[in-house]
Amino acid sequence: MTLPMMVALLAWGIFVAVDLVTMPQGLFSRPLVAATVAGAIAGDVAAGLLAGIVLELYALDVLPIGASRYPDYGTASVSAGVAAALAPGDLAIGVAGLVGLPLAILGGITLHTLRRRNAVSLTRRLQRVNAGDARAIWELQRNGIARDVTRGLGLSLLGLAVVTLVARVPWDDFPRASLLNWATLAGGLSAVLAGALRSGGHGARRRWLGVGLATGLIVVLLQ
Amino acid sequence: MSGIGVGHAAAPLLRNLYANRSTEERRAAVARSAEFFNSHPYLAGVAVGAVVRAERDEVPGAAIVRLRTALSGPLGSLGDQLVWAGEVPLVIGLALAATPWLGAWTVLMVVLVHNALRLWLTAWGLDIGLREGLGVGAALQRSWLPAVAARAQSAAAFAVGMAIPIVAWMLLRGVRASVGTGVIGCMLLGAGLTLSRFAQERMTGLRFGCALLLFATFIVGVFR
Repeated sequence: MTLPMMVALLAWGIFVAVDLVTMPQGLFSRPLVAATVAGAIAGDVAAGLLAGIVLELYALDVLPIGASRYPDYGTASVSAGVAAALAPGDLAIGVAGLVGLPLAILGGITLHTLRRRNAVSLTRRLQRVNAGDARAIWELQRNGIARDVTRGLGLSLLGLAVVTLVARVPWDDFPRASLLNWATLAGGLSAVLAGALRSGGHGARRRWLGVGLATGLIVVLLQ
Repeated sequence: MSGIGVGHAAAPLLRNLYANRSTEERRAAVARSAEFFNSHPYLAGVAVGAVVRAERDEVPGAAIVRLRTALSGPLGSLGDQLVWAGEVPLVIGLALAATPWLGAWTVLMVVLVHNALRLWLTAWGLDIGLREGLGVGAALQRSWLPAVAARAQSAAAFAVGMAIPIVAWMLLRGVRASVGTGVIGCMLLGAGLTLSRFAQERMTGLRFGCALLLFATFIVGVFR
């Protein structure tokens, strides 16, 4: 990886981390987007897209409502996209899973820590906010954004370090390495199916899920 | 932080509104605008608009606070149904299903379609809040929002359902039948485990995937 590439990936990783919750929430943190762009930066769009597709299957199992805690697939997908781009072509999916899934779990933990830090910051300035001090509101916004940027930077740096290590693995010495592909894919498919069945509930939504599955199967059979 | 966000968004509007009033009145309005609030972020503009309209109409402060509290639940619920359970999985599902033919162009489709819809929804929310003020709750009930929110979830279920077999086919084509069978088998096992009463909240798709990956890594490492 060249220096401009690493700088671009860090910038993209930070943007993706902040996009998840803080701003602009433009779906740039979705694995499909984050990993594909990361793969493009690293020189292999197709590999990045593969990483994005597989991690998107896991992400579709997540419903970020209420006070739920969920993994952060954004920066994890950036790292996974780069790892897939640097891996041998037939191991892109497995390497993406190996890098992306643990980083997604870690990202979720940092998200929870960020929320708690924001709550502490709010408590400290509550008196000024209740007194109508507009500057206190601005400080809370600014500091919250700064914390999320720092979180994104930390996760991106860690992700790049992991990718650098994984890129050094002599994959030719592991003849069964393709098992990683199938494990990652099977997990993703089970996640998206379970998530769809769970959120489908009963009634109209579940019927439409069934119609969608049937439609997809017909499309596949026609190929 | 949503309340703080609403306060920050309302600040420039309140600055103009209270330019010729006393500092105490301005500070009281700022404090009201930043009180605790929770809603879906794309619909928070409804609250911003309604609060600023109420301030402009010189509605008593206590009524403005009650308005914010009353809007929290509906805006959160409607937004979650329309966006997180509706539009987002719908757009992503359609993109995944189109990937075998459109490739990386689906990424552009996701970003453009979602952000166009999102910006329109945010502008609509701010507009209806500014127009209706205290009556925004009834205006929301009369609007297209509740019906579309329910239908969006059905559309999302269809899109995700359609994407599952297409993605599986795309990533498994050309592999041996035993591999394909193994992957589908693990998929059904994982889905069954995740949905079973036994697993409840302990097993998620991500945890099952990590467990499979850990097992695969062990096999790959040991049986070199």
